[in-house]
Amino acid sequence: MKLTHLLTALSLALVVTEARAEKLVIKGSDTLGAKLVPQLAEQFKAQHPGTTFDIAAEGSTTGIAAIIDGTAQIGMSSRRAKPAEVGAASAKGVRMKPTIVAYDGIAVIVNSANSIKSLTKKQVEQIFTGEVTDWSAVGGSGGKISIYTRNTSSGTYSDFKELAMKKRDYAGGSQKMAGNEQIAAEVGKNPNGVGYVGLAYTKAGGIKVMPIDGVLPSVQSVHAKTYPYARPTFYYTNGEPSGLAKQFLDFTISAAGQKIAAQVGFVPIP
Amino acid sequence: MLRNYFASEIVASSHGPHPSPLPTGRGSSIAARHDGCDAQLQRSPLTSRESSFSLREKVRMRVLLDAICRSRIALKLVSVALLAGFVFTTDLRAQDAGALLDLLVKKRLITDQEAEEVRGELTRDAAATSAGKLKLSSPITEIELYGDMRLRYQYNGGRTAGDTPTAAAGSGVAGLRDWQERDRERYRLRLGLRGTLADDWFFGLRLETNASSRSTNVTFGDDSGGANAVFAKNSDGIFVGQAYFGYKGFKDVTLTGGRMPNPLVNTLMVWDPDINPEGLAEQWKHTYNLTFGGSAPAVESYSKDGKAVAAVEAEPFKVRLDLFVNLAQFVYADSNPENVLGSRATTTGNGRSQLVPNTDAFLLAWQVGARLNFPKNVFFQIAPTLYNYTGNSDKFNIHYQGGSPTLTNAASLAQNQTGINSLLVFDLPWEVGWKVGELPMHFFGDFAVNLEADARAAAAGNPGRGDQRYAYQVGAGIGQLKAKHDWQIDVWYQHAEQYSLDPNMIDDDIFDGRLNMQGIGVKAGYALSDAVIFSITYAYGQRYDNALGTGGTPIAIGINPLDRYQFFVADLNVKF
Repeated sequence: MKLTHLLTALSLALVVTEARAEKLVIKGSDTLGAKLVPQLAEQFKAQHPGTTFDIAAEGSTTGIAAIIDGTAQIGMSSRRAKPAEVGAASAKGVRMKPTIVAYDGIAVIVNSANSIKSLTKKQVEQIFTGEVTDWSAVGGSGGKISIYTRNTSSGTYSDFKELAMKKRDYAGGSQKMAGNEQIAAEVGKNPNGVGYVGLAYTKAGGIKVMPIDGVLPSVQSVHAKTYPYARPTFYYTNGEPSGLAKQFLDFTISAAGQKIAAQVGFVPIP
Repeated sequence: MLRNYFASEIVASSHGPHPSPLPTGRGSSIAARHDGCDAQLQRSPLTSRESSFSLREKVRMRVLLDAICRSRIALKLVSVALLAGFVFTTDLRAQDAGALLDLLVKKRLITDQEAEEVRGELTRDAAATSAGKLKLSSPITEIELYGDMRLRYQYNGGRTAGDTPTAAAGSGVAGLRDWQERDRERYRLRLGLRGTLADDWFFGLRLETNASSRSTNVTFGDDSGGANAVFAKNSDGIFVGQAYFGYKGFKDVTLTGGRMPNPLVNTLMVWDPDINPEGLAEQWKHTYNLTFGGSAPAVESYSKDGKAVAAVEAEPFKVRLDLFVNLAQFVYADSNPENVLGSRATTTGNGRSQLVPNTDAFLLAWQVGARLNFPKNVFFQIAPTLYNYTGNSDKFNIHYQGGSPTLTNAASLAQNQTGINSLLVFDLPWEVGWKVGELPMHFFGDFAVNLEADARAAAAGNPGRGDQRYAYQVGAGIGQLKAKHDWQIDVWYQHAEQYSLDPNMIDDDIFDGRLNMQGIGVKAGYALSDAVIFSITYAYGQRYDNALGTGGTPIAIGINPLDRYQFFVADLNVKF
């Protein structure tokens, strides 16, 4: 009889433990999801024992889609939701609510062996649209330009198109990479490579960041909005967040969360 | 209207506290940041995004900001006004809102987060509108949907000559002075889309009813299909009438390729207005503003009743000269295949045999023109043009004959009516216009001569009749059809000889698309509204040279020679 009581008590304890182990599903941007959000999650877990995270960083489009489909509580996005996405969400009764969680500067990177010192906005547009195909045309020492971009589900892909390319199409020969780290790695290996990454990924080896019209991406230039390719990054939720999602969002924009953002390489909210 | 609303809302609201509907969040220190606002406004130049606004928009924006800056408590009201204004105004462009929000953030009047929330609301509202559900690809900078629909009653009547051979009498066999008449109720639909693209490109597309190059009409009740023919749809097809794109990136130059609106200045004596030629066109147009005189006083100063009267400056005489060049290379007919398996086939026509041509036929046009615009709405335009045909393909390789009065009607019709051999046409369309009061008037006309008419006549079996090489049109008009209650009447006389023009391109309404015809045309129209025009057109023609047929594929009337011809249409046309 005592053994039965003991087993019952153990079962109840397991049920209670299981019920308290809440899970937060976060999907979306690779820019946010590759470094920042996992580190925030680790810190958050330390403060909220029993919390588990399911983080999938496959591009902003997937994050926004996950909010619309209800398959995630938080959608990470390095771009704003498009009108079509907002319309699709409304049609399903989902109210897309953006919250700025940090700022980013999209850095244009070249191989560290490249002789070029800086680029203008016009030259960046020409390079990425394919109007210019050789480094000699933009002051370099020659060589066929190899362009590395994010894939089409990436918010950085569409943000860069809007911010730097007047919404024109990328050059036909550009190579699409799954994430910032891959772009940095490829540009680091290719002396004629050029690409773009979030600020958090500019410390990779073999690359250097180009000043654009004389301005380097930095905390100061992003806050002052003088760097041309600066942008906010977002958590999207279905309406006002609640429960664990709200706790994690509040933590992200708290002083502690913003400190982590700065450490990772993002520009904190001023 | 929208930005006026903003301004008045802000000013009206700036005298008392109003709660903000937006969460304060990190914008709670907004009032503190407001210090020095006026100074900011004074010293900050317009950003590039602001620079994209019109002057009026910039002024309104400044008024808005100025109103905000005059009151600390108005800071949150920026968001109120923005939100209210945008929510209740559906025609606001999203980019305007985005630029305005960016500006407010830059001026530190609202936070990024507040801006994002407003932006999200706007996007949500915009997505719910009809316009918000429409998605255009990003290279499109401007797009226009347009078209028209027409209901028509049409009468065609033609009479045979009184002195041509006749076949044995029977049903459907032409007798002497025999009339063939047709009454038709018809409609047409043309639906177009045209627009501009980034980097000076443009495009156009138009769908039309009827597959014919010279008609967009569908006749009610002419469907085939037995019991199911009543109100059937097999004659109500939709076809691509225009599909073209082009480039305007060079100064004064327009380059176009595809199936395009006719780029040449022309009249319906030479070109049916329904034809959309296929190929390439290069256009150049430049305007010169010329001033004559005006430097010296027209009247010397003088004294009148002891008072000095100042000298009167002579008004300079101003003329605007538009010079233009239109070049076209149209693919008239495609030979298929160019290189046949084995030996080339032989064709027999007009009593002789020849190898079927294996090259494409092209219509080349060179047009140089000018339009002089004088003061007081007087203008003169002239556009000399040379049309040349190269090749005749495997479709137009039989020499043109055009019918004959020495044959029965059936035999005359069976002669070749479409050959494009020996056509080198010089054409001279012109127009003079002026206004009497507010009433526009114009004279117009056209003159054409086939410089190879001798060879064309000889190939047709009528050597020595190369004198039938001329065509001309002269007419006058009064009024215009631009707005409701406008009216217009045009009257003209037209004369086109048997070997003067390409019978495949002349207008198919007036004189049934035939040559060797002359007569009058009258067209009168009245605008029932800005979009609806009622018009009637009447034409009467008769054969010009009784020794020749009336060349051209019969369009409505199966008679050759077409000795007399009448045409009448009443149209109700709705443009949209």
